[in-house]
Formats: sequence, C-alpha cells, structure tokens
Amino acid sequence: MATVLWLHGGACNGNTMSFLNAEYPSVCDLVTDFGIEILWHPSAGLEMGNQVQALLKDILAEKIPLDIFVFEGTVVLGPNGTGRYNMFAGRPMKDWVYELAHVAKYVVAVGNCACHGNIPAVPPNPTESTGLQFHKTKKGGFLGEHFVSRGGLPVINIPGCPAHYDWITQVLVALAVGRAKDIQLDEYQRPLTFFKTFSQTGCTRVQFHEWKISAEEFGQGTRKGCLFYELGCRGPLTHAPCNRILWNGVSSKQRSGHPCIGCTEFAFPWFDLAPGTIFKTQKVAGVMPKESVYEVDKFTYMLHAVTARIAAPKWATEDIFVV
Amino acid sequence: MATKQHLVIDPLARLEGDVRADVFVEDGHVVDVQVEAVMFRGFEIILRGKDPLAGLIVTPRVCGICGGSHLYKACQAIDTAWRTEVPPNAWHIRNIAQACETLQSVPRWYYAIFAIDFVNKNYAKSKLYDEVVKRWAPFVGTSYKIGLEISALPVKVYAMFGGQWPHSSFMVPGGVMCAPQLDHITRAYALLERYRTEWLEKVWLGCSVDRWLENKTWDDVLKWLDESESHRNSDCGLFIRFCLENGLDKYGAGVNAFLACGSYIDPEFYPVSTIEGRNQALQSPSGVVYNGKYYVFDQMNVREDITHSYFEGSSLLHPWEGETVPLDPEVAKKQGKYSWAKSPRYLIDGKPVPLEAGPLARQVVAGYEEAKSACPAAGRIEHGIDPLFKNIVSKIGPSVMVRVLARMHEAVKYYKWVKEWLAKVDFKDDRFYKKPKELPEGKGYGGTEAARGALQDWIVIENGKIKNYQIVTPTAWNIGPRDSKGQMGPIEKAIVGAPIKNPEDPIEVAHVARSFDSCLVCTVHVYDRKRGKELARYKLGTFK
Ligand code: SF4
Ligand code: SF4
Repeated sequence: MATVLWLHGGACNGNTMSFLNAEYPSVCDLVTDFGIEILWHPSAGLEMGNQVQALLKDILAEKIPLDIFVFEGTVVLGPNGTGRYNMFAGRPMKDWVYELAHVAKYVVAVGNCACHGNIPAVPPNPTESTGLQFHKTKKGGFLGEHFVSRGGLPVINIPGCPAHYDWITQVLVALAVGRAKDIQLDEYQRPLTFFKTFSQTGCTRVQFHEWKISAEEFGQGTRKGCLFYELGCRGPLTHAPCNRILWNGVSSKQRSGHPCIGCTEFAFPWFDLAPGTIFKTQKVAGVMPKESVYEVDKFTYMLHAVTARIAAPKWATEDIFVV
Repeated sequence: MATKQHLVIDPLARLEGDVRADVFVEDGHVVDVQVEAVMFRGFEIILRGKDPLAGLIVTPRVCGICGGSHLYKACQAIDTAWRTEVPPNAWHIRNIAQACETLQSVPRWYYAIFAIDFVNKNYAKSKLYDEVVKRWAPFVGTSYKIGLEISALPVKVYAMFGGQWPHSSFMVPGGVMCAPQLDHITRAYALLERYRTEWLEKVWLGCSVDRWLENKTWDDVLKWLDESESHRNSDCGLFIRFCLENGLDKYGAGVNAFLACGSYIDPEFYPVSTIEGRNQALQSPSGVVYNGKYYVFDQMNVREDITHSYFEGSSLLHPWEGETVPLDPEVAKKQGKYSWAKSPRYLIDGKPVPLEAGPLARQVVAGYEEAKSACPAAGRIEHGIDPLFKNIVSKIGPSVMVRVLARMHEAVKYYKWVKEWLAKVDFKDDRFYKKPKELPEGKGYGGTEAARGALQDWIVIENGKIKNYQIVTPTAWNIGPRDSKGQMGPIEKAIVGAPIKNPEDPIEVAHVARSFDSCLVCTVHVYDRKRGKELARYKLGTFK
C-alpha cells in the first residue's frame, strides 16, 4: 500500500509515456496487485479543476497521506524567479512542488528534466529551469543540497531521457513494499542497482570495441563495428542498464545502430549541443577519442589500437548479424 | 432572464501540457471561451546557434507522446535543407516507425485519456452506464487494461528499428541508423497480429479489419452497427451508441475547415528530398479543406499569428522568419494576450484562416478526389484515398463523436499500411543510409502527421549552425488563441455551443477539448459572470 501523486513541471510527458509501456508489472498491475493508489496523474487522473486543487490542499493539510511524490519535468523558475512560465492550478508549479516535497515520505525525480534540468536548462535556459536536487552536475537544484524527505532519503533520481519504465516501476514497488532502506544511491542519488553498470554492459558490439573495429557510418545496424570511435557512442562512459534491461523489452539504442548519447548522466545533453558534437566522436589530434575509457597516454593507446586491429579475427570485420 | 456564468477550469488535465479554460455559459450552453496554454519551455530559443542535427535530439523532447513524429519531421527538415537521397528501405522503416507510434497512441489515448470521462456520474442515468464503467473505468476496466497493455506492442516494433520508444533519434539525414535483419521483420508481423487479434478486432471492432473498411458512408456505419451483436457490443459499437444516446454527435464541431500536411513518403516518388517534390510522394495525402473545397497544401502559406500569445509583438510571419521572444504573462495580459500557444494560420487567397489539424482533418482531406492528383502516391496505397469521413462530415457534421471515430479508424488503416511497408523492405537492396553532404547553408521544411495532427518544422542553417528553428504543432493549430482578426481557433470554436448540463461539472467542455487530443493540460473555474462570484465548486465524479 502506498499513495502516489505524480505531477508534471516543464515536461514533455516522455517519462509518463515510458511508464505506460511497463510490463511486469504493468501500470494496471501496480494498482491492482501492489495496492499502489495513484491519487492523481495529469494524464490519467479522473479529476480536473477544483477537484485537483482540493486534493492537493488535502495532501498539504495532511488529511491524505502522501507516500511517494513523483515529479516529471523541470522546475521552472522563470521569468526572474517568479515561476510564472509554468502555472498550475492557479499558482506557479514550483510552489506546489516545494510544499508537496516537504509533506511526502519519498520524493522521486523521474527523467532527466526533474533530475537535473536536462534540455530545457541548456544555455541560454530561457525558462530558468532546474532539477529537483541538482542543476546539471551540481548538487543543489530547487530543493537545495540538504533536502531529505520525511522517509529519510534525499530525492531519488531516476535519470534518463526518458527513464526506462522498469527503473520507475521497480523503485515504486520497492518503496511500496517497504524496501526503501535497501535502495542504495550513488553520488547523483541514482539507485545503484540500475546505475552502477554501464550502458555498454551487454551491448552486442562489445567484441568490436575490444578489437577496435569501428562502424564507419550509419545504416549498418548491429552488423558491423563499434560506434565509439567515429559516431560518438557514450556507452562506456554512461551509467545505465540499457543493454541489460532492454528498452520496450526488445532493444537498445546500440542494438539499432544508434550511438548512446549518454542520457542518464547529469551533463546531458553533452557539450550543450554545440556544432560538430552530435553523433561525432570528439578526438584529440584527429585520431584518439578525447574521452578515452582507458587511462593511458596517446602513444600507448595508439599502440594498443593498432595491435588490437591487427590481431582482430576475420569475423570481426564481417557482417556478423546477417539477414 | 438568462443568467450568464463564468467557469474556470484549472487544470483541465489529460490534455498534456497545461491549459486553463475560461468558459462563459448562458442558458445551459457555452457562449464564449478563452483557452490558455500555461506552460512555456522555449525549445526554439535553445536550438539557436546549435548543431543542425540538434533538432533530432531536442525536438522529440518537445513532446514525449509524439516524439517519433517530431523526429520524423525534424529529420526531413534537414533532409530538404541538404537535399539528401534517402534509400527506399530507409523510407519504409521511417514510415513503419512513424505509423507504429500512432498505432500505440490510438488505444492509449482512447482508454487512458478519453473514455474514462464516460464513467462520470453525470451519465449515471444512461442505460449503458454500467457497461461503460465495467469496460472503461481507469486501471480496472476490462477494456482499459487490454487497451493500455496492447498499446505497448506497436512501440516494440518501433524499438526494434529505433532502439527505444519514446525518444529515439535513429532517423538521420540520409536514412536510418539501423539495418534490420529478417527476425526484426518477422517479429514485427507477429506483434501487429497480436495487436489485431487481441484488441483491434476482438475488443474494438467485433469484426475483421476488412469488414470495417467496407464502410464508405455514415449509412454504412449505421448498417454495420445493426448487422450483428458482436458489432453492437464491441467497444466501437458501444462508443457509437453511447454518443448517440448522449448527444456527443451534436456538439464540438469547431471551424469545419481542415489541414493535413501529409505523411508517409513513397520513395518511388521521392528520389531527392525537396520541399517542392514532397506533396506527390505522400501516401497519407496533404491538403486544405476550406468551405468544402480542396486546396493543394503549400508550406509557404503557413503563418504564425502572435497577437494574443505571450510573445513580443503581433506579427504574422512565415516560420522561416518566425520569432520567439517570451513575455512575462503578467505583463502580456495587460496587452490582451492570454496564451503561450501561437495561432498558426493558413493563407487562402491571401486571407489567414484557422484550420483544424488531426485525424479527422486527415481523413476528410483523404476523401477528396483532388487529393489523388495532388498526391499521386496516395492513390497507390490501399485506402490512401478514403471517402468515409468526408461523407460522415457532409452527412452529420463534425462533432466530438466524429472526431474520435476518425482517430479510431486510423488504427485499422495503419495496421494495414505497416504490413505493406514491412513487405517492401528489400534485403537485396541492402541500403538503409546514404551519407549526405552536410551543407553549411540552407533552408529546410519537414512535416508529418503525428497522431494528433500536422506537425512541422522550419529550419534555417547558416555557417553550419542553426540560425532559426520554428516548430508548429497540431496543438497550436487547434488550441491557439484568437488571432489579430479575432478569429477563434478550432478548440475555442468547438467549445462554443456545447451544452452544459451541470455547471458544477462541465464534463462536456472536457469532451470537446480532449476529442482534439491536444498536448496541454487545462484549467476551468466556475464563476457567475454578473456578480463576479465563484459558484459552488464543481466536482467530477471520482472513481474509486
Ligand atoms: S557501441 Fe557503444 S556501447 Fe556498444 S560496445 Fe561500442 S562503445 Fe560500447
Ligand atoms: S543507451 Fe545511452 S542514450 Fe540510450 S537510453 Fe541508455 S543511457 Fe540513454
């Protein structure tokens, strides 16, 4: 049994859409099998208008206990700190968020926007957007560095643009069945159970990565090469379980020939989308990837790369996942 | 003496994004309305000065519900700016993915967003109420659960090609990133068949998709309804009966003028990505229907009016010249502005007119024979030209019911189309991408039909950077405020005239607004206009 209130700030609804894709448990299962009571959700709630306002007021007056406050989207502070760029139920959304976060047992930030500001916060950040407890990589955000909810945890960040449904549902179930104390968080307050491994873990191209065999251009799907050397894949640098907990149960970016864009790291979107940085590996001296996963100098790296390529078995240069 | 009431609904909810509606009621009918979009994120400002490819990553995040559609048109905007040659296989994959997003949206939207309002206590007297509650109550309704869970299947097809849904960026200028294998194709068929057997035919239609597609007129639909128990008892049958019983076929007409920018390229007609060549390659045809007349769609005729939007000025500009300078709403209100949405307009004989975008618009446009000559590719695909909704609108006019039916009809068509495109993926012509020449200067236009309507981007590239980027969404077409001439947009127009049976629970306003499936969350309060006093707070029947 747990009550959940889900609100949207400066959001695209992508996390809700991801959530609705859930299987095992599905969203309906959460309600029927786990006794999760969704007090209100902007896309699925029945109430509107004054009813929502009344519900929110009852929660703030603690007539209705709020176990889990889920927030999706950025906290919009603009213009000039007024929050008027994002009004909700008659007042700036930021004011609701502040008060609700302080009566909730647990606060969960779902998706990058709520975690750290994400794309809306890219310079020039026209809406003065920020995350609940981080602004990009810097701790603090809207609720401040020291915020801890009543249940004793800081904001639980489930990053990703969007967050995978499984990361969301499993955290909700853990909180609902009383396992909050087992949720270990990393320095960015991400549940370690999901975010200790890399997006590369389980990638079907890892063998290519080892042999330094590169995919030269798009449109080769899984068939050839690793996306790290030319196409900017951030799989080895990104904490995320995308290749062990597959997307929609069937795939991942890398499996469809799409380089990981590092969307679970708090510096996303990388390089603030500057010209020349999208789907292109940033290199030193035109050859060595700037952000190497190997902690070695340029010469050692080159030597290692050449040797690996020479030693690569024949299959590594062929189309392995054939039609 | 008639009493005038002022209802403020805040938030209206389930419209995605945020909206407040001020509704004025007289003699049980809405006589005036102002719809306000209350949230701003400034994506067009963020895109300035960024990498031209940034649109592929940023615009899907404008809306996670139609993120795939944002990707499709963002990609085409660069395709046309760079004049890419996209291999046929890549077009088929782009089309498959794009249509699967809509196949997902149809049941998810119907059950999670739209039909749960029928559970409202205002309908407790309906003969069909018990059945409606049994099937469509949120989370626990029998069809609700099937509908929601089935909606996750088409996006598995998307994910096989795009890696994930929502928010992939796998379409790139020149093609797609993936190179599917045979098992992706076969599994896609299997997922689509499951969608058809477990929901589309079994729950929604109560008949085969081919039987449904035999319906060419409103009379055919009524005959279909009477034809068998399984038709009448299907969710579609129940929906039509419920609407007819409760008058949902009688209100919510809107501007009765339509825009489709078209979608789903047939590569045979499109060897090089150009703006000019796009119309003829569209399998879902483009066109504008105004005063019952068909006009060939030309993106050069699109304008954005910001007279009543929270942006500086009152210009009426083509999106390549578009400006986005936000104002503090408190300040802007004093200038008579009342919404974050801009008001897109289309020039007909030099006059800017409001148009409805969405499934109904697409289906009406597809009913015109002229669409076939403007978009010959539409004449090639089965049901590309489709007379049903042109007939329904001419027979009984647009309404909440008709708009919803048009959306549901598309599930049937797109199911067939996706199968057709899957069959066209040719492994012998093993190309899914052709590396384009990245031009440092250029202007591009990309358009598609998101589940909720015409979605378009305009990009200006200078010195290898984005100089200007404008996104015109279907929501803006539909929910935009009045323009400089005081013309209402489709949703405002559609709400006017709606009957309000219970001012404390104006569910009818919600039906109209939600029938457009706009990406905004609404707010409605109820006031007595004369005394300026808030009336008793209305309550929507809660389901527990
Ligand atoms: S494609 Fe990316 S995630 Fe996969 S092995 Fe290469 S670098 Fe790692
Ligand atoms: S693979 Fe990378 S870009 Fe893709 S979802 Fe995972 S973390 Fe995000």
